[in-house]
Amino acid sequence: MNLLWENLFRKSRHEDVSRKALRENFLFQDLSSKELQFISELVHKRTYHSGETVFQQNDVGVGMYIVVAGRIEVFVSDPSAPESGAEGLFITQLSEGDFFGEIALVEDSGHRTATAIARDETTLLGFFRPDLTEVLARNPSAGSKIILRLAEVLGRRLKETTEKVSDLRKALKELGTPPPFEARK
Amino acid sequence: VTAQIDSAVNNTPENSASVSKVFGNNISSSQRRRNFVAMIQRERRLKLAALLMILFSIFGIIFFVKGLLLAFVFAFVISYMLAPFADFFEARGLGRQASVAIPFLLAGVLIALAITLFLPVAARQLEALEQKIPQYQNDFLQMTKGIEDRLGSLSKGNHLPISAMASSWIISKTGDLSASLPGLLSQSLTVLLLAPLFAFFMLLDGRSVGRSILAVVPNHIFEMCLDLHHQINSQLAGFVRARILEGIIVGGVVWLGLLGLGFPYATILAIFAAVMNLIPYLGPIFGAIPAIAIALVSPEGQVVDSHSLSLILVIGVYLLAQLIDVAFIIPLVVAKIVNLHPVTVVISIIIGAQAMGILGMVISIPVASSIKLISQAIFEHILRLKPQTFD
Repeated sequence: MNLLWENLFRKSRHEDVSRKALRENFLFQDLSSKELQFISELVHKRTYHSGETVFQQNDVGVGMYIVVAGRIEVFVSDPSAPESGAEGLFITQLSEGDFFGEIALVEDSGHRTATAIARDETTLLGFFRPDLTEVLARNPSAGSKIILRLAEVLGRRLKETTEKVSDLRKALKELGTPPPFEARK
Repeated sequence: VTAQIDSAVNNTPENSASVSKVFGNNISSSQRRRNFVAMIQRERRLKLAALLMILFSIFGIIFFVKGLLLAFVFAFVISYMLAPFADFFEARGLGRQASVAIPFLLAGVLIALAITLFLPVAARQLEALEQKIPQYQNDFLQMTKGIEDRLGSLSKGNHLPISAMASSWIISKTGDLSASLPGLLSQSLTVLLLAPLFAFFMLLDGRSVGRSILAVVPNHIFEMCLDLHHQINSQLAGFVRARILEGIIVGGVVWLGLLGLGFPYATILAIFAAVMNLIPYLGPIFGAIPAIAIALVSPEGQVVDSHSLSLILVIGVYLLAQLIDVAFIIPLVVAKIVNLHPVTVVISIIIGAQAMGILGMVISIPVASSIKLISQAIFEHILRLKPQTFD
């Protein structure tokens, strides 16, 4: 009997952890608690050992992950820089509350642009394209809130990338090297 | 896979620390690394074995318990047909249970209406047809005898026993049908009771069952399995909905056409054509055979004065049904179904027919498409095709 109670308690605690991670995530922050409950039943909880690969660059990507516990390091393979290590060039480290891989939510059979590797015993929540499609079909109000936030994230990334590109072009100009390509009119 | 794991494992201090937590401090770093790789590999193998065991037991039970396969096939068909309606009601704020129950009730009412309208007519026609079968057999044998005589006079002496061959074939086939009818009915009663029940729970809990199975999938193939599961599911759904729609349209056109011609047994022949149409490529031909046979041998099948003209009219009705199917339904559907080579289609149908008869023929194409999808995904995973080499 005790064991049963313990298990019941454990299950609800796990659900709470998932829901908390979702509520605190930028993409799901507009959802009501009922909608969050709906999403928490859809997401996939995955655990990784330290050093285990979540996905590799060029794998077909299906969706995004939210870090619930542990750390994730992101690498890009760079053949021009052999000194960059076995995993490739270190890009960034993600910890609790961060999310990654969200471009795959809107890209049909897109390929991963980087490799993600767990750095501790890591727990992730996976939210994938089929799940997003299901949310849009069964709960369109929640779906549109998520899509709007997703668009905001992707827009911000695009803006950052554009700024970075123009900074680099400026730097190249100052060095006196002609830019490698002309901006499209 | 080993290369993949090797690249996954690294020698950062944090990682070594966590590995030494598992294996103790008295071992060298390369030994720790090897132990870590072995641990991950062992875990993956265990998870994979668990996954395969779950899948094999599910498929084993479905295949080997009598009647269960048919019930499951029908349950899948029902759940694929009703899923969009359940989602529609749920999207409008109803709970999942109510959203699933409403389409079931509506479908139940519709089916009850159809049964009260069509079943008496179909039963009467079936009964009349059954009484006429010996006469048709006789007429058919007369016809083959006529052909035989003409052939005999042509080839002088080389007597071909066509009528004897035809009579034994036709008697065995029609005999089969009436002998297997009671068994078929009792089996279909089980299916009629079980299939809606299964379908109800598939719609209610199917997705969470799928998710629980996915939870056992090892990390390195998780996304591939999830994607595959989704692709197979949506392709099967598209396939089932398209087939049912095709069946209804073909059956409807045949029914109206034959009624318009004043041809006997229009209802039963239309139902037969609709069901046969589920078999790709060959189904439409099978579906037309009974009507053509009746038009050939029976005076009842002569809807106009000329025998050959009435035959042409009957064939015309079936051709029109297929034409509407090809012009309106197939363009809508083809993109949703995995492209199988026509030879693969025919071979799959033959294998299906050998293994499970008519049901085998109907489910052969979705099964072949799923096998193709799964093997493609596994092949790509093994080769790890990079986009640069592919695009």
